Amino acid sequence: MGTFDFLLQGLLVAAQPMNLLYALIGVTLGTAVGVLPGIGPALTVALLLPVTYQLDPAGSLIMFAGIYYGGMYGGSTTSILLNTPGESASIVTALEGNKMARAGRGGPALATAAIGSFVAGLIATLGLAFIAPYIVKLALVFGPREYFALMVLAFVTVSSAFGDSTLRGLTSLFVGLTLACIGIDQLTGQARLSFGVPDLLDGIEVTTLAVAMFAIGETLFIAAQGDRGPDKVEAVKGSVWMNAADWGRSWKPWLRGTFIGFPIGAMPAGGAEIGTFLSYAAEKRLTKHPEEFGNGAIEGVAGPEAANNASAAGTLVPLLTLGLPTTATAAIMLAGFQQYGLQPGPLLFATNPQLVWGLIASLLIANFMLLVLNLPLIGLWVKLLTIPKPWLYAGILLFATLGTIGANPSVFELGMLLAFGLLGYVMRIFGYPIAPVVVGLILGPLAEQQLRRALSISQGDVTVLFTSPIAAVLLVIAALALIVPLILRARGRGEMLAQLAASED
Amino acid sequence: MNKGNNPSVETRRPDRAALIIAVVLAAIAAVIFWDVSRLTGLAGYSQVGPMTVPYAIACCLIALAVWTAIEAWRGDFPEREHQQAGPVVWIVAGLAAQMLLLNTLGFSIATGILFALTARGFGKRRLWLTVPVGIAFSFAVWAVFAKLLQLSLPAGPLERLFF
Amino acid sequence: MKHVFLASILAGALALPVYAADYTIIAPANPGGGWDQTARSMQTVMQQEGISGNVQVQNVPGAGGTIGLAQFASQQKGNPNALLVGGYVMVGAILTNNSPVSLKDVTPIARLTGEYEAIVVPASSEIQTMKDLVEALKKDPGAVSWAGGSAGGTDHIAVGLIAKAAGVDPTKINYIAYSGGGEALAAILGSQVTAGISGYGEFESQVKAGTLRLLAVSSAERIEGIDAPTLKESGVDVVVENWRMVAAAPGLTDEQKTAVEADVEKLAKSAGWQEVLKTKGWQDTYLAGDAFEEQLAKDISATETVLKDIGLVK
Repeated sequence: MGTFDFLLQGLLVAAQPMNLLYALIGVTLGTAVGVLPGIGPALTVALLLPVTYQLDPAGSLIMFAGIYYGGMYGGSTTSILLNTPGESASIVTALEGNKMARAGRGGPALATAAIGSFVAGLIATLGLAFIAPYIVKLALVFGPREYFALMVLAFVTVSSAFGDSTLRGLTSLFVGLTLACIGIDQLTGQARLSFGVPDLLDGIEVTTLAVAMFAIGETLFIAAQGDRGPDKVEAVKGSVWMNAADWGRSWKPWLRGTFIGFPIGAMPAGGAEIGTFLSYAAEKRLTKHPEEFGNGAIEGVAGPEAANNASAAGTLVPLLTLGLPTTATAAIMLAGFQQYGLQPGPLLFATNPQLVWGLIASLLIANFMLLVLNLPLIGLWVKLLTIPKPWLYAGILLFATLGTIGANPSVFELGMLLAFGLLGYVMRIFGYPIAPVVVGLILGPLAEQQLRRALSISQGDVTVLFTSPIAAVLLVIAALALIVPLILRARGRGEMLAQLAASED
Repeated sequence: MNKGNNPSVETRRPDRAALIIAVVLAAIAAVIFWDVSRLTGLAGYSQVGPMTVPYAIACCLIALAVWTAIEAWRGDFPEREHQQAGPVVWIVAGLAAQMLLLNTLGFSIATGILFALTARGFGKRRLWLTVPVGIAFSFAVWAVFAKLLQLSLPAGPLERLFF
Repeated sequence: MKHVFLASILAGALALPVYAADYTIIAPANPGGGWDQTARSMQTVMQQEGISGNVQVQNVPGAGGTIGLAQFASQQKGNPNALLVGGYVMVGAILTNNSPVSLKDVTPIARLTGEYEAIVVPASSEIQTMKDLVEALKKDPGAVSWAGGSAGGTDHIAVGLIAKAAGVDPTKINYIAYSGGGEALAAILGSQVTAGISGYGEFESQVKAGTLRLLAVSSAERIEGIDAPTLKESGVDVVVENWRMVAAAPGLTDEQKTAVEADVEKLAKSAGWQEVLKTKGWQDTYLAGDAFEEQLAKDISATETVLKDIGLVK
């Protein structure tokens, strides 16, 4: 049987009514748990995996795929509506998505996220099916120096999330980098900035920081406005669906996001967040509506959401072809696959084609079910905004702390949640952007470790950082991204850039 | 913290709260220098050891502190809206209460108190009503997540009463 | 909210039984790692085999398991229904982190599973045998980069022992620590490093597919079904086993301890557990009672010595 026949056969099995129902249940459960701030896809899958054991192999595999995609997607809903990203990969979504929701365009924001996720999931799953062996070869070429160059590029692009002041953006970033130093240094095993507190030895959990700074900081800030803030957000202005202009502005970011997210997700040290950062930066540079960025640009939701979902499928590339679990979620999935008798590795596609194609067909069906479930729900989700503020925010704090307690029930973790919540509040008062703090916490350790690994392998020879072709190209792109705006500004072009310059001197 | 500057007239005056931020940034840098200096070099074969990156970050923080101080001195920070302290205190009290009571009273009661105090921060004054509502709601949430989805959430007297 | 209720109904319909908790297993690591998988496998088997009506798994991640260990020792004192999963990595972490709580502060019950270390090179490497690798190491220790797990962990300890046995200064090894097994494996496959070291299971499928060359395993004798010499046969007198164990709370009465031991033995001998070991590729190294305690004491002192040699513990 050829590749196509296997896929077709898998799809036929997956499309049986009972299996479709399992997919729907999986997507519903995954979304319900994944929507909680602080509970990312890893914990969602770990919690719900036992549920699937009750079913026959085909049914459990398909429900599992549903849980995975549901958990990935769940985080973006709260990001957009409530400015409380559930996990690090949906932080960027909150930047523009929440601005849209506040302007009564929550419907289109959720729709572009859902459809973008679907499109990206579809393309990336097909990519997984047909070009996985080639993608994985590319991913293996990436060694420490290439990763370091990629991180440099990511750092340069972070500036697109800085908001209106370079000083305050940089300060936020460096606060994040400082937090990133806390804990055991991975390469030498020494504790840094931990002050003898054992709870700090593993560093600051990204989800704790994100939930605290976004959910709790936001709640405090809104509460401190007293009665002056807008009484109730107008949930829907215009149509709840995407109009023609929204479609026109969304489809290219969906595709770009997919092509950025998929290969980065496939890289063993990539991670879904980095794809979303790069996608956001790309959309900001390419948009025809730069004035809308920071005030609710639909491209800024469409691109990163697509990148997020594409990298979810990308993660499966090294997992299925090499047996490499590159994220916590993937490690749990590996455990799940073993239950279904699927032993990921280089021989999987050859020895077990039915199961692999069954899984890929399941992913396609689950992806479709996600759309079926979420598009009709958008109207309902948007109504969340009409809940009176006291109950809405009391509920947000309930679920935000539930997520943290469920992931790690320690008083210390809750204390950090409170402390970082206050930090987020104070930063909001003074107009510091929040996202760069979290970005610094994610990128800082990656960049440092990869640099030190590269230098260690070369026994201290710095030139290796530039001599690999991929690293060199990435560094050149980073340099251009840094220098070109400076030149443009020097020539006094571009209104936004001129404003930036004005606030600097 | 500075509770709201008067707008317009005084904007070009040194911004004291922003100066404090500059001092805090410099203090963080000092803490990094102090802590990292106690590490052993142990860099292995890379000349970038465990101390290099923290030192670099600390140096940048000092530069940012100076930059912040200059902007603060010239009053370049954006205007701040007036912040009400009351609601913030209520919500922080709620979070602190949850944190301290969680392991003794269990998830439902501790989180119910957080729920009620947050609502109080947003103007719902009737605590005699909101606390029971919060506890009941939290208990329902606990039952769903701890019992059905096997998420481990601390149980207290209330939870043990039913399960 | 509707969503949550819907979820509850659906989950209920899927017949997740609701009983009172009989055992709580603490996995002192994040979901997905080896300890978490051990704990969750124990959960499944204990419920299947009717050893316990309901088992909860709780993740208390952090610092090589020492956070979970410390919390377990203080909060579960005298609780006969609490179990802790741990292992060899914890022994090292207690030493490198100067943890105030050690394995003496809990009640070790039994060793459950184990895994031997495997030393591999990429298939394209010029190094053919363990002897070649040792030669290269002797010539220039810095030129041989090793990819493995976190600093001070089992893999790092094993490399330190190999260097020592080969007569090379253990502080001179060029060990590149990676966080998860996946990242290290990618670095080896991509020929970014000279050699790789990790549990055999991590490399198994690559070795079978011929993309990695297995040089040696760290067991005392050859392992059935694995076509590679032991380190000892290759002239490096080192045996390392990365074992996982289960411990009970401190302050138990003798009867309580015996009851837990009986339950764990029932688990380890059950058909369900043997099935788990097979699907996960774990070795059955069940060892309980005095023999286990003796082994534990020996491992702790050996680990302390080598960590001092590498320079991670003063």
